[in-house]
Amino acid sequence: MKRPGLRARVTAGFAIGALVVSAAVALLSYQLTERFLLQERERSAVRATYLEAGIVRAGLSTDHPDIAAVLRALDTGGKRRAVLFRDGRWYGRNADFGTKSTIPLDLQDMVNGGQPGAQRIRIDTGPAIVVGVPLDASTVFYVVDSMQELNRSLQVLAIIITLVAAATTAGGAALGWYAARYVVRPMSYVVSAADNISAGDFTARLDPGTEPDLARLATSFNKMVDQLSARMQRDRRFAADVSHELRSPLQTLSAAASVLLRQKDHMSGRAAAAAVLVSEEAERFQDLVTDLLELSRSDQPAEPEPTDIAELARGVCRTQKISEGIVTVRPGTDVIWMIDRRRFQQILANLIENARHHGGGATAIDIGQRDESWLLDVDDEGPGVSPLDRAIIFDRFVRGRTASARGDNDGAGLGLAIVHQHVTAHAGTVTVTDRPGGGARFRIALPRTSQ
Amino acid sequence: MIEDDDRIRMSLGLALEDEGYTVRAVATAEEGMASQRQEPADTVLVDLMLPGIDGFECIRQLRRDGDVPIIVVSARDDTHDVVAALEAGADDYVIKPVAVKELSARLRALRRRARPVAVAPQIMVFNGLEIRPQAGEVLLHGNQLSLTRTEFRLLCELAEHAGLVLSRQQLLERVWEYDYGDERLVDVHIGRLRQKIEDNSATPQRLLTVRGLGYKLQR
Repeated sequence: MKRPGLRARVTAGFAIGALVVSAAVALLSYQLTERFLLQERERSAVRATYLEAGIVRAGLSTDHPDIAAVLRALDTGGKRRAVLFRDGRWYGRNADFGTKSTIPLDLQDMVNGGQPGAQRIRIDTGPAIVVGVPLDASTVFYVVDSMQELNRSLQVLAIIITLVAAATTAGGAALGWYAARYVVRPMSYVVSAADNISAGDFTARLDPGTEPDLARLATSFNKMVDQLSARMQRDRRFAADVSHELRSPLQTLSAAASVLLRQKDHMSGRAAAAAVLVSEEAERFQDLVTDLLELSRSDQPAEPEPTDIAELARGVCRTQKISEGIVTVRPGTDVIWMIDRRRFQQILANLIENARHHGGGATAIDIGQRDESWLLDVDDEGPGVSPLDRAIIFDRFVRGRTASARGDNDGAGLGLAIVHQHVTAHAGTVTVTDRPGGGARFRIALPRTSQ
Repeated sequence: MIEDDDRIRMSLGLALEDEGYTVRAVATAEEGMASQRQEPADTVLVDLMLPGIDGFECIRQLRRDGDVPIIVVSARDDTHDVVAALEAGADDYVIKPVAVKELSARLRALRRRARPVAVAPQIMVFNGLEIRPQAGEVLLHGNQLSLTRTEFRLLCELAEHAGLVLSRQQLLERVWEYDYGDERLVDVHIGRLRQKIEDNSATPQRLLTVRGLGYKLQR
């Protein structure tokens, strides 16, 4: 199972915390309130009963008193039901005489023993309290006081407290979500800096000052990028230095080889073959060094200028000795592009050469635009590029499968790496796809920039 | 040939002799300039990194003495170096290692540039600028200008197509006979030409840049 993200976890943590705290507080406050209210209610019930007991005692002090009338005279309201137990007989006010059956026996025993008492019970209308007061040796006065109203209040209280607890939980979750967002936000700086770096911008750094808590991360991150870029620069400089140092001996080699080659008709067959080999390899060596130097200059920014891309493409076709007619411009396309002319000539030349070596020659160069992009497609009618190769085809020293036999003189596999690098220097992308109808399509997409 | 690397001097000398040239090779700019004063060569090949007087200064001094065609043969390919050498007055610039056939082609193209222009025999006048292709003369407000062969050829190409835009690639093909060349050659030569034929080279009135396309000589 996928682990939930940091934000989800922080949010959940805050919500659970808020739930636990608010539930505990709610429970505690409910119980305290309930106990307090019940005690208050009980006390008032007892007090009222004693008061009524006094009235009843006074009413009974006559000879042959009308017990029912005495009880009826009590102003007990609807919630209180008074009963009297006298000489083994029960007296009630009216039809609710059944009340006597709700009085617990142990309370009866206690009160009969001359001890006043109160007990909470449940009656058909809900919780109630029964208070018993002995009036004399043979008479006990009971009042059953319904606490239905209190019960309803407590229910309302419970609902309110539950709602408050739920709201607190939701508030906790919201707070957690916000806090997580706040905490995670500095991460987005790291992410965007890392994105910039992977896009080739090695000037991207984090400012350790803006987020004191992330200062260490920022410092380490910057150090890492510094080292990485220094290392890349060293590598590039090394490649440039090596290539540069190779130029003078190569010049000697190339010139000497051409002298040898000129004499090959006067040589033995073996020597002539060797002279041809030396000369050809010197030439290939020279191409390789030229390409390596081109690659090692990747840190230099492009020098864009307004350029008629169609004219430039036709010029490259001429120098590559292929028909200018393959260059087409889609209707409505602005052909003045902001590009580095030298690099773009190289891009096109390399793509055409690539098509020649691996795709049977370029068949179309299509210039167009879409939304905010300039598009340039170079098509061929070769076998295309397998999805597996597409990922690596722009890497250095990658050669097409057809060239793996290495019989022909098709370069060192730096051509497309140079294309990729030059396009990247223009902040563009180069991709290879299948051309509709077979073959490969190399597509360059550049962001349109104003002139 | 002014080249301080012994092996290159020797191998390139041999190879160029094979191509039919007579080569006089020296190791320093000082020797080269002395030799040129004594017995002028048809074309000078010069390296940029030289002991003593460097290639840039050497080109400037040779150019001061005359319009001998100069080709830079250097391992340095920074824009800065290329432009500086061309601005000093070099006609062409090749980067080591250069194939002998390529160098030979450059030399031949430079020699052809020296010939009179065949296509435009008549005198052409543009706003005070008078071009006499046959005589190889250019006059600005009646005063004769001293143009190198490359500058002269470039001006003639533009003049033949006056009022039309010529792309840098077209000019490279027509003047330098490059299939595929360095457009900086054109840009720097245009700049040099402007300094000679414009009244104020900062605000050209005759030789105009057409953005994204190339250059044209105003009719």
